Amino acid sequence: MKSHLLTAFLLLFCLAQTGDGGVLFSSLPQTLVVTASIKQGQVLIAGEDSITLTWGLNQSFVGRTDESYKEVKVKLCYAPISQVDRKWRKTVNDLSKDKTCQFIMVNKPYQKLDQSFKWSVEKEVPTGTYFVRAYAYDSAGEEVAYGQNSDAKKSSNLFEVQGISGRHLSLDVASVCFSAFALVSLIGFFLVENNKKKRSTDN
Amino acid sequence: PTPKDTDMEMEVPDAAMNSGGKKFALPVDSENKATEFRIYSAAAPHMRAFHLSWVSFFACFVSTFAAPPLMPIIRDNLNLTSTDIGNAGIAAVSGAVFARISMGTACDLFGPRLASAALILLTAPAVFCSAMANSAVSFLLVRFFTGFSLATFVSTQFWMSSMFSAPVVGTANGVAGGWGNLGGGATQLIMPLVFSLIRDIGVTKFTAWRIAFLIPALFQTLSAFSIFFLGQDLPDGNYSRLQKSGDKHKDNFKQVLYHAVTNYRGWILALTYGYSFGVELTVDNIIAQYFYDRFNVNLHTAGIIAASFGLANLFSRPGGGLLSDIVAKKFGMRGRLWTLWIVQTLGGLFCILLGKVGSLGVSVAVMLIFSVFVQAACGLTFGVVPFVSRRSLGVISGMTGGGGNVGAVLTQVIFFRGSSYSTETGITLMGVMMIFCTLPILFIFFPQWGGMFCGPSSKGITEEEYYMSEWNSTEKDKGFHKASLKFADNSRSERGKKVDSALTPSNETPPTHV
Repeated sequence: MKSHLLTAFLLLFCLAQTGDGGVLFSSLPQTLVVTASIKQGQVLIAGEDSITLTWGLNQSFVGRTDESYKEVKVKLCYAPISQVDRKWRKTVNDLSKDKTCQFIMVNKPYQKLDQSFKWSVEKEVPTGTYFVRAYAYDSAGEEVAYGQNSDAKKSSNLFEVQGISGRHLSLDVASVCFSAFALVSLIGFFLVENNKKKRSTDN
Repeated sequence: PTPKDTDMEMEVPDAAMNSGGKKFALPVDSENKATEFRIYSAAAPHMRAFHLSWVSFFACFVSTFAAPPLMPIIRDNLNLTSTDIGNAGIAAVSGAVFARISMGTACDLFGPRLASAALILLTAPAVFCSAMANSAVSFLLVRFFTGFSLATFVSTQFWMSSMFSAPVVGTANGVAGGWGNLGGGATQLIMPLVFSLIRDIGVTKFTAWRIAFLIPALFQTLSAFSIFFLGQDLPDGNYSRLQKSGDKHKDNFKQVLYHAVTNYRGWILALTYGYSFGVELTVDNIIAQYFYDRFNVNLHTAGIIAASFGLANLFSRPGGGLLSDIVAKKFGMRGRLWTLWIVQTLGGLFCILLGKVGSLGVSVAVMLIFSVFVQAACGLTFGVVPFVSRRSLGVISGMTGGGGNVGAVLTQVIFFRGSSYSTETGITLMGVMMIFCTLPILFIFFPQWGGMFCGPSSKGITEEEYYMSEWNSTEKDKGFHKASLKFADNSRSERGKKVDSALTPSNETPPTHV
């Protein structure tokens, strides 16, 4: 009985292997140039403001480098300050586990010429500090190159987004009314109980 | 059959007449507590009290743990850090520490019906106002005040201990507690579902989660109304009426408190419950995020996995209570203690394993096994609690219940706050702590029944002597101790069948054995 339990434990331990990883970020060449039309320290309002993005191949890499690039995704990425003490936004070298860039701004097929896009800050983008990064994908859908508007330390050309609060006046009023109803009912209960007590003493 | 009002357990199947001439749907003992637990019945007052208490407790659990499954949305809306989330999770379970002890006292003094209805209505506003939270601080505050509602656990256990007799009290407590705790699992399914329904009609996600919170709030309010209008404190009636008629005296608060805090068994059970129930609360808070972040499942899937942890309460906690009663039939209180220690320690072992496992499928499997053991341990704990004290049952239940929440607070502060440990390491270390904090059960000793390693005291102390020690001679002269005397008589079954009950003439041994 004891040895069965031990074997079961060992078996479970052995099964505790993770799956295989994805492309490593450190292996990607930075061959794309990305710019975003922002001023230093600008605060964008979610659901209202927009910025213009441009991306394209860095001219010093012209040649055979971009033969495999089939698709480009431009992503909104968290700056280090918005990643502090937030494990769910962690930067991991293995791109299949990386959580730095969680929003796709533009998804277009790769073209040799520079492209631009006017991106409106969606309503559901959370409050935070961001930069922009573009990944180039091959025909298998794997990352083969990248570019970003910030420096390697992700400290320049950052911009802030002010997210929506999600609150509405009607919702606030409903909450307050229901709360008041609960408290008033409680007072009502006490009065009823006291009446019952009084009536039984009067009897 | 001629009604024998001095018999402890009458075998009259359907209707039972007692000395007061009252008729109950279930067979009852000398205190009019039901000696059977019929789950499909809703007969007043016993089974109706059961259904009212578990449903309202379920509602409070749904409200208290409504935030965790929606945390990936809330954390972005309110720009929360891991520390903020951890603090809110701690706040959610810390309010109930003192609320549970206060609730115990309130039940002893005012009765479970009023005490629980009042608490539920007082905490409903916090749930309603969750829709208005807009910062880490306001989020913490709503979770803190909502968490007070978990004190309804104490009124649930108190109510069951008042309505059901010794042979079935473990089962009644276990099912009521377990089905209430189910709320912690159900909410992980309910909230994402309500959220997606609201989103589907076009509401943006940062508003949708707020509207979703109105559902548990309304459910909670409704349950309070049901308790007030349909419930009854004791088989014989409500406290207020019984106190007026002199059938029940209003006890002395200081004495009740004194006899609870001076009983070391209450403290040990508070600690060990902190590492069965406390662990369960902690897991309710962290598990959805754990699966979402570590295994990259989506919100819906994380909710389903997290829900299955809490949903095991459907049978595992009641199973613990039932097991306690079954073991007690043969081995009495000693059996209850041994089973509690074994089951809780095994729970700790599986917890250690859960943190070590790295693949999704195995992790879910281990989590399910772990949930069964830890929840059964909760049920087993409340198979012991009703016997620690009769006079101060409410406060002891409150202390134990409060201890559960202290365990949750401690565990979250040490292992799940900020970024000092990865969540998986925290889970493993929590398992280690579980095993250590379960060891004190070895030291629980009842002079009339024994402990894990010792038999009953050689001085031959009886159940009457143990429970009478809670009353002084003045109180005995006034006859306040009579309910405790009846209870002592009814608790003789805790000696188990192994002990030759030829020592005291017991009505439960069939005549042929004498």
